[in-house]
Amino acid sequence: MNCESVTKLIPLYFYGELPPDDEDSLEQHLDACAACARQAESQRALSAALDRRATEPSAALLAECRHDLMRAIYRQEAPAMRRLQPPSRGGWNSGFAAWLPSLGAWRMPLGASALLALGFVAARLTAPGAAGSFSLAALTPDVVSSIRSVQPAHESAGAGEVQIVLDETRRRVVSGRLNDSNIQRLMLAAAHDENNPGVRWESVDLLRSHSDSTPVRELLLNRLAEDPNPGVRLKALDGLKAYTGDPEVRKVLARVLEDDDNPGVRIAAVDALTAHADDNMVGLLQGVVEKENNTYVRRRCVKALEDMNASAGTF
Amino acid sequence: MAQDAPGAVGARLSPKLDEAGLIRAVQRGDQDAFEQLVRAYDQSVLRLAVNLLRSQEDARDVFQEAFLRVFRSIDSFRFDCSFHTWLYRIVTNICLDYLRKRKVRKEEPAVVDTPEGPLDRMNDFEEEAAHADPERNMWNRQLGQRIEGALGGLTPRERMVFELRHYQGLRLRNIGEILGTSEEAAKNCLFRATQKMRAGLGDFQ
Repeated sequence: MNCESVTKLIPLYFYGELPPDDEDSLEQHLDACAACARQAESQRALSAALDRRATEPSAALLAECRHDLMRAIYRQEAPAMRRLQPPSRGGWNSGFAAWLPSLGAWRMPLGASALLALGFVAARLTAPGAAGSFSLAALTPDVVSSIRSVQPAHESAGAGEVQIVLDETRRRVVSGRLNDSNIQRLMLAAAHDENNPGVRWESVDLLRSHSDSTPVRELLLNRLAEDPNPGVRLKALDGLKAYTGDPEVRKVLARVLEDDDNPGVRIAAVDALTAHADDNMVGLLQGVVEKENNTYVRRRCVKALEDMNASAGTF
Repeated sequence: MAQDAPGAVGARLSPKLDEAGLIRAVQRGDQDAFEQLVRAYDQSVLRLAVNLLRSQEDARDVFQEAFLRVFRSIDSFRFDCSFHTWLYRIVTNICLDYLRKRKVRKEEPAVVDTPEGPLDRMNDFEEEAAHADPERNMWNRQLGQRIEGALGGLTPRERMVFELRHYQGLRLRNIGEILGTSEEAAKNCLFRATQKMRAGLGDFQ
């Protein structure tokens, strides 16, 4: 083995990629050749310097990535089901649907159809005699205008005339009882108004007292899992407290505890889950204790485990 | 002297879990199995992306794109290679695209200018003790800068081979398999990368 071949083999030697015979020959050469021994030392120093650069992603970053991934997969769920569902083997029908509780129902694109729903209901409200069973306490037109453009009028018009284009938003006030289906549909649509978290919060806050209604409960599950605003998610969770024994609700709560980026929401999820403690929770809570980086959430989980006479650690 | 990297890749599946069984369950549509599969590998995938791209934002994008591709195409996985190799082909392809685009744009997003000079946003050279020792702090900054510069001088492929061998602890044969090349080509790539790195770091070593 000469110096030229040793130079090429030093990186492989360092990373343990040489066959044993070559390794022996190279070590013999290094013992006898100071120049090559310096190269090997240089390789070691390079490695030491590079080791200091290594970055371990934080647990928070990993949790965010997992959360984002699952959200992205939620959005793809419908086509994925069509693609992957084997006709006779259950598959996504049982597995995926179980993983995303009643997804087909409560993840329907209410948000996208909010305007349509509002338009439809509003049209019914304004139609003659449409008041039906609910009381139209007030239907007050209030037009808000904004100017879109101002330009000279058509040539045939007299000199000095202008044309002003106005955009008009018609405001109406509708009131009725929450258990009225039309009012409820308006509220469900409002709870998905993606541009206004205040409206979503108010809608969820009002609807949560009607969680005995299936559409409302589905909405609450949807908002808990999907709403970008933690205040709305907390309100939705609060509305589900009477159903914390329900397996579908528990699945979403478990998901929230593992993946929600807001510690307050995670704490509320622990409390809701422990209201109906069962043995299945032990593993979940132990897993959270292991990876959770928020002290309060971790303590709450440890306390819940202690209350269940379970160990906080895994062995 | 031979070393395996501290961050050696390994699936974090419990020994009780049979990976092939898990993959078949995913192919049948078992979402819980998919999640278990993701969790077995996602930490090492994220570590690779963060170390390679030195940008949390880019690493997040790579993470999501890679696992979404797995989700969409797991039907086509035929057990011709290990799942780890298949997954890493996807991840390294995405990362190489990022590195190539960055080369074209001549970006190095991890390094930012500060009043004290260039600083690697993600470096961990500033240990607590270093704050009390300005000279050491300065040396660490300069070393970090030199390392980034030396790594920036590698081709995307050299960078990838080096990352997979040094930081991820993969064997060169496996690296060749992942990158669709021979073990010999991976060896040559590693040699070129280490030579460039040593030249780039010079007296800092």
